[in-house]
Amino acid sequence: MEPAIRTEHLTKIYGQRLIAVNDMSLEVPPGSVFGLLGPNGAGKTTTLRLLLGLQRPTAGRAQVFGKPCGPNAVGVRSQIGYLPTNPKLPGNLRPIEYLDLLGKLARLPNEVRKPRISALLRAVGLLGATDQKIQTFSTGMCTRLGIAASLVADPPLLLWDEPTAGLDPSARRFTLDLIREMGKTKTVVVATHILTDIDQICGHLGVMHEGRMIFAGSMQDMKRRLCRHDFTLELEGAAEDIGRLAREVTDLKGIEARVDAGRALLVRIADGQSRSLALAEVLRRIDANNLSLSVIHSGQNATENAYLQLLQEDEAHGFQR
Amino acid sequence: MVSSAETSPAAATTSAETAKLGTWMMPFMAILLHDLRSLWQSRLVRLWLGAALLLTFMLVGANWSQFRDGTLIASLLFPYLVFPWFFVVVVLGVGPVSESRTEALADGILSRPVSRCEYLLATWSARVVLVLGLYLVVTIPAIVLVIAARRPVPEDTVTVYGIVTALGVVGLVLTFLVSLGFLVGTLLRKPLLAVVVLVFVWYPIGLILSVFSLEQFSPISLSRAISTQLRQPWRQAEANGQTSANAEDINALSDQMSHFFSVLSGAPPKPKAANPDFFEGETFADFSLVRVVLGYGLPTLAAVFLATLSFYWRDL
Repeated sequence: MEPAIRTEHLTKIYGQRLIAVNDMSLEVPPGSVFGLLGPNGAGKTTTLRLLLGLQRPTAGRAQVFGKPCGPNAVGVRSQIGYLPTNPKLPGNLRPIEYLDLLGKLARLPNEVRKPRISALLRAVGLLGATDQKIQTFSTGMCTRLGIAASLVADPPLLLWDEPTAGLDPSARRFTLDLIREMGKTKTVVVATHILTDIDQICGHLGVMHEGRMIFAGSMQDMKRRLCRHDFTLELEGAAEDIGRLAREVTDLKGIEARVDAGRALLVRIADGQSRSLALAEVLRRIDANNLSLSVIHSGQNATENAYLQLLQEDEAHGFQR
Repeated sequence: MVSSAETSPAAATTSAETAKLGTWMMPFMAILLHDLRSLWQSRLVRLWLGAALLLTFMLVGANWSQFRDGTLIASLLFPYLVFPWFFVVVVLGVGPVSESRTEALADGILSRPVSRCEYLLATWSARVVLVLGLYLVVTIPAIVLVIAARRPVPEDTVTVYGIVTALGVVGLVLTFLVSLGFLVGTLLRKPLLAVVVLVFVWYPIGLILSVFSLEQFSPISLSRAISTQLRQPWRQAEANGQTSANAEDINALSDQMSHFFSVLSGAPPKPKAANPDFFEGETFADFSLVRVVLGYGLPTLAAVFLATLSFYWRDL
């Protein structure tokens, strides 16, 4: 099956000075919600702009549904709905006028355009603001309108750049729910540095650092690869009992344990060991040491740990590359 | 019945083709209308319209009983060719793809299924339509008034052909100015710098053109030649040099006779129409409508082509 996005050695260098995207090869499976994760300046936005043909690659190539991207690749852009970070919208227009303009740019006939605009305004909760000029909109309203704008042409691929930036909690919740909903029928690429967003919505992700794609795969792959078999057990009981438990667990084959923050026991199970048997043995010893278990986590902030570990590894291996 | 069966598929085909063309042109028209609306809402355009109306009114009022028709119409067209409206036209041309608008442009329009060429042509067309529309809306009523009114000046031989071609020549120069602003704005990206460069190029354009022996294309030369074109085509004027001289003699004789009879009858003498040198060209060996159209038309096309090429290679 044709990937929604394919890049091969995609490279963008600005004015022989700044490497924004560095030899990036990537495939985004169709019908997935793909998170493009990376710190500020990692090259996420540049990657999206290369896909849209707003910028030209210095080397390599990019394809969307098998078609090459470029400044005049109208066919490619007709398949993409783009939401920029804090979208700059024409303040002198009203929402219906703006969406109508975009519908015309997508060559949608009147009988398709008008009902879709009204459905979209209802979906993003802007029906009550149709008589206001866009310049009076709050950040959240602009983002909602930007979302509607990206959906006007009903494209099969959505590229959303930091869709939750600057949103209040309810608007953020709305946006994440919408992405989840869109992911059922479309390919959605969400560029962000907010890990919790990625954790909640994405099935696949790519991690960018200093222009390079340092990881690409499924969420499970990332967590499995980097967190291995970690558990965090929050315990109630005397500190010396928790310390004794940690020593006993560490004596078991293939299990390491250490006390964290006085009350938590971090348990790491080596590869090849049965997680369920190891965990059962640890739980039995909790009771034996007169401790009680209040909470158990499978890893702690797994995505965050994995992400930070990836960045550290990438920096440590910089010279080896 | 047979006829209806024969025509109906043809009509359907035509209708389908029209619909197809309409769909194909939809983004172009959408950008054009959006840009026209934005331009119309800008303060610069509103101020320009007001100032152009005022200046036209003042020129007509001040020279009502001074200039003959051709000379007065030429003086109305002068501000568009030389000063001050060329400046406004250049500023309007510079705007659309300058750096300050790039981000909004990329986010709003060029990330949609629109080619850069389509965008540039639509936004260039919007500026040309606005500039020409405003120029014609201001000048045509004034010209009609000048021609139709009974003014206390001698009759002139201004022709409809002359008016249409003179308006067309000035319109062509304005189109060229918009295109030049468009090109320099695309190349330099910074609008202020682009305007400064254009001012420094346009004002000494006569000198620059004279280096290439093309001084007849300068705005000043055109301004001087327009009053003649209003009366008769340039080539014809050159060929009829003798006729022109005779006409001047006849006018002078007519003035003397009029003065003589006024003195006899005691009525006030008919005012003498001024013929200021500036608006009255004399030699037109190098002038022809075709040459002027080519002289401004080809650079206009070249400017639009180069702007499109430059914009195509630019990162947004």
